[in-house]
Amino acid sequence: MFVKFPQGATERTDKDAAAEVLYDVVIVGAGIAGSIIAAQLSEAGKRVLILEAGPAEDLTLRGYESYLDRFYSSTSKDNQAPYPASLAAPMPRGTDTRRIAPGAPDTSAYLVQSGPLASDTTYTRVLGGTTMHWEGKTPRMLPDDFRMRTLYGEGVDWPLSYEDLAPYYAEAERVIGVSADVEDQSFLGITFDERYVYPMKGLPLSYLDRMVAKDVDGMPVELDGEQTRLRVRPFPQGRNGIPNPAYDGGNGFVPQGAVSTYQVEVGERCQGNNNCVPICPVQAKYHAGKTLTVALESGRVDLIAQAVAYRVHVDPETGRVQEIEYRRYKRPDSKAFTTVRARGRLYVLATNAVENPRLMLASGLRGSSGLMGRNFMDHAYLLTWGLLPEVAGTFRGTNCTGGISDLRGGRFRRNQAAFAVDIHNDGWGWSRGAPMTDLLDLVDNGGRYGESLRQGLVDRVSHQLLLAFMVEVPASPSNRITVDPSYTDRLGNMRPILTYAIPDYTMRGVAYARQLSKRIFARLGAEDHTDYDPNFWGYATYEGQGYEIRGGNHLAGTHMMGSDPSTSVVDADQRSWDHQNLFLVGGGSFPTVGTSNITLTIAALCRRSARAMLTQLDREQAPVQLATAGAPSHREEAGR
Amino acid sequence: MTAPSLDDFVALSVDLTAFGETDLLGTGLGSPYLAKLRGACGDAVVTALFAAHQAARAESAGDPDGFDRALRYRIFSDDCLGPVARNVIKLWYAGTWYGLPPEWTDSYGAQSAAQTSTVTAASYQEGLLWRAIGANPPGAKAPGFGSWAEPPRIDDRYLKGARR
Ligand SMILES: Cc1cc2nc3c(=O)[nH]c(=O)nc-3n(C[C@H](O)[C@H](O)[C@H](O)COP(=O)(O)OP(=O)(O)OC[C@H]3O[C@@H](n4cnc5c(N)ncnc54)[C@H](O)[C@@H]3O)c2cc1C
Ligand code: SF4
Repeated sequence: MFVKFPQGATERTDKDAAAEVLYDVVIVGAGIAGSIIAAQLSEAGKRVLILEAGPAEDLTLRGYESYLDRFYSSTSKDNQAPYPASLAAPMPRGTDTRRIAPGAPDTSAYLVQSGPLASDTTYTRVLGGTTMHWEGKTPRMLPDDFRMRTLYGEGVDWPLSYEDLAPYYAEAERVIGVSADVEDQSFLGITFDERYVYPMKGLPLSYLDRMVAKDVDGMPVELDGEQTRLRVRPFPQGRNGIPNPAYDGGNGFVPQGAVSTYQVEVGERCQGNNNCVPICPVQAKYHAGKTLTVALESGRVDLIAQAVAYRVHVDPETGRVQEIEYRRYKRPDSKAFTTVRARGRLYVLATNAVENPRLMLASGLRGSSGLMGRNFMDHAYLLTWGLLPEVAGTFRGTNCTGGISDLRGGRFRRNQAAFAVDIHNDGWGWSRGAPMTDLLDLVDNGGRYGESLRQGLVDRVSHQLLLAFMVEVPASPSNRITVDPSYTDRLGNMRPILTYAIPDYTMRGVAYARQLSKRIFARLGAEDHTDYDPNFWGYATYEGQGYEIRGGNHLAGTHMMGSDPSTSVVDADQRSWDHQNLFLVGGGSFPTVGTSNITLTIAALCRRSARAMLTQLDREQAPVQLATAGAPSHREEAGR
Repeated sequence: MTAPSLDDFVALSVDLTAFGETDLLGTGLGSPYLAKLRGACGDAVVTALFAAHQAARAESAGDPDGFDRALRYRIFSDDCLGPVARNVIKLWYAGTWYGLPPEWTDSYGAQSAAQTSTVTAASYQEGLLWRAIGANPPGAKAPGFGSWAEPPRIDDRYLKGARR
């Protein structure tokens, strides 16, 4: 089934008229977090305004195809390649990352990095947000992840338990349309309702996964006195597979197809393009545009694109948010903008864990706990790579179909970080730019051409195995997002500054991951080609060994939730302790990241928060008087 | 001087890539690639490259080892023709024209089209690299749901491997 994008929906809202409306809810950011909340509130009859920093027009198929063309024609196929760079709403790009010299922050790109460790972590500021771009793994968090302080004396406990979140996980799996099988996903305490099945059946493991599984399944591991056996297991995926007829008590599931203005043939099952990051050409992969479309179809959601939130204005007496001031730019390349305001009964910041605290701090709202922007978390990725003895057919399938999840939990977490392991179907692409780098090396340095080149490519590329260890990073107050008026973007918005170091707890997990990878390669009879370059921007040493650490794109922790206002920024509903009509939603609310890719949990939390918003709206139903006289709602300004 | 011909270009490309004439012409990119080559190196260099290829053929008279040596002597080790021939291989395999090294442009002149660039959006999708490894170009020519669970379609003669 294709999803019809309401024609003209990105242009139908007049910003000046909207400035005179008191919406039920104003949402900043049309990523998955903002879109889920918009869809749920509008379904309940509420009027919603969404402000989105990225350019409009992107959800029609034409807009989507322009992403594809940009991707095919660009010589650099990095993960932001399909998306237009905008100076008005810039975004970090992995290729910008530089090694940071001590005491000299790297200010060359939008994300200012003061180190000590540089990160290539990124996000996308377009309609639909970073899910346009994500890979689409959708694991649930482990029950233990919510109680790390109690169980292991590390990190912070959540004010919610796995059981509290479980029904919302199921809702999130429906919204995203997850393909997985309960049998594969019930481990380390993850439980499901008795008759639960995922909306769609699990995607098959790749030939490469199976080759690894042949030798790795059953491999014994002993850690902190506990015995585990490894097993290659499929990941749950936010991409369309075969609908499970047993879903929803036997009612089945209708997959969401492509978003388009007209009937199209794409958007059905995943076809194995191996291009999920940065863009799925057929929209088999979920992106938030699918949910945003549902919201817009309600007729109760207004969307203003090219609208960059500039400042949150707060009533100094009550602490309540009065309005959000935003800058509407005319064209992505122009400096001119208009200042406009947006008003609602409730406000939701859904701009992600870097941009949410950036906006709050730029508005002078540091939070009574002083924690706004602190405890930035991400996953630390350690890559290890080798060549398998047989042709494994690398470079086929989705970016990743299977991996090892058995060391995501265990008693060892009192000493060292846990991790999940991905088997990458795209070989050494991530670590060494394969297969292009192999081609260039064989031709330019190997003297290969003709038959010897074809043989060389099979030998070098089709045997590749890359294991990506996604290691948890605990909250640390010194890892943080800040702002500084001397660093602004073209529209005058203060840019985010990231201060980041990897805690020893994580580095112990990293060191163990490297050891384990050597054992795995030995068991596979694979040649280990892992080699960490001391000049790499993310090079970090621990106990005399050096490692290349990469960013995880799993931004979290910067407005942590808790049950005590003095040690957290939001409550379990993601409501700001300081500003009762303001919700800060997304990964920023997480007290721990565990070893799950974070987006399913973001979606579950947002489903839950939307309920809390509806309750609050009902409670605060007293009519609000708008001042109609006085200052005009907007004024024209020239940019700088 | 007559303009370099598509036939000569394809004959050279078959030997450089080990893909057949029908495979190469089937991409629809023979003419655009020849145009790219001429734009980047100039006709004098292109003509010399084709001539060297034909001379290598004539000289080795069907003996594969002799032909390999002749190509190495006449083309791959030549300061002017070597980098250009390697670029032709990369063009067919990757769909990208890579900028020639500075020492080449210093000696033989920088033409207007010498920078790294793609030829058309289709050239990436038609890259021979993907066919050589039995995969589809990421983002295009999708092989179908579940195809990734099957063994790769790589010609048997490459499966043994020269690696071990
Ligand atoms: C390469 C890559 C792979 C990934 N793979 C996975 C994966 O496999 N599994 C997983 O769970 N997660 C994955 N992620 C992470 C996932 O994409 C994010 O967690 C998720 O998209 C976050 O959603 P969000 O709605 O909170 O924020 P975003 O998606 O970042 O959306 C924020 C929105 O707010 C807008 N915005 C920002 N600033 C402003 C402003 N000032 N005013 C107005 N609007 C603004 C942005 O334009 C954007 O639309 C991946 C990310 C990347 C980059
Ligand atoms: S493998 Fe391809 S079709 Fe499947 S989700 Fe990824 S890009 Fe889309």
